Amino acid sequence: MIQFNVHEFYVDLNQKGIIFCFSGPISQNVIEGIGGTLRQKMEIEDTDLNTSQKVFSIFVEQMQNIVNYSADRLMPEDLREGEIRIGVLIVGKEDGHFYVLCGNKISHQTSETIRPQLEILSKMDKDQMKQLYRERRKMSVHTDEKGAGLGFIDMARKATSPIEFDFCPVDSRFVFFTIKAII
Amino acid sequence: MESITVEATKSSPFILIDPAGHLIQIKGESYPENAAKFYGPVLSSINEYFKSSESSEVTVEIHLSYFNSSSSKVLFNLFESVDIAVSDGKDVVINWCYHPENETVFEAGEEFSDEFSSLRFNFVERS
Repeated sequence: MIQFNVHEFYVDLNQKGIIFCFSGPISQNVIEGIGGTLRQKMEIEDTDLNTSQKVFSIFVEQMQNIVNYSADRLMPEDLREGEIRIGVLIVGKEDGHFYVLCGNKISHQTSETIRPQLEILSKMDKDQMKQLYRERRKMSVHTDEKGAGLGFIDMARKATSPIEFDFCPVDSRFVFFTIKAII
Repeated sequence: MESITVEATKSSPFILIDPAGHLIQIKGESYPENAAKFYGPVLSSINEYFKSSESSEVTVEIHLSYFNSSSSKVLFNLFESVDIAVSDGKDVVINWCYHPENETVFEAGEEFSDEFSSLRFNFVERS
């Protein structure tokens, strides 16, 4: 007997307008594969090129954040490439707008770093975001870091409404971080 | 200096540094897992090329259909290198190629040309 009712799950996802749902190990290969399929789907449905570019872009930034920063990792810590980390991805459509939602475990320390960044961003207008993006891009010199620390600002600039986020305590070590961008 | 070619992958662009043809070309998509690591050797070669090149006109052709935020940082570093080469007396032109419907890429190019106002940017439509 299958314990998990897959049909119910499928119907539920459909009713909620969820186009894509993935939970598990995420690597660069997964990003390239799902990203390619997502683009194809939007192309088949004649989604306007600017919209599909923004959806793809936000998808890549969120997924690469999981690969770079999720506290749930399968590979040794000093790895610079070939990383696999655990996370959840949901791409859906509500009220005619695409959204990309990701979730993953992070440390309390990481949540203390990113929460204020996201709070500041949510109060900014597009011009302020552009300024911040430029300043950050100019300043960042961490050539050894995988990301440039520009991901959240880039997502916020491409989203049509402020980025939504949530930090849900898991235990003494971890927080479950969720981020949602509407395009 | 010998010419250098890097073949494209799903998430990284085709790259050409051609000293004989005075051409640097970056074409395709750019969202590698580790942009700093991927582009590190490329940027070093470009710097080396600028140092060794004669003063004839060099064309830098950027034709990316998508690039992520960490690749945008790399492009920033590339234009800083071009800026240094130009102030050393080199003649460099940047051809920023974009699909006519791709506003995101066009606007990103405009922002770079705003920020590097001493550099020559040509905006070239390519479908």
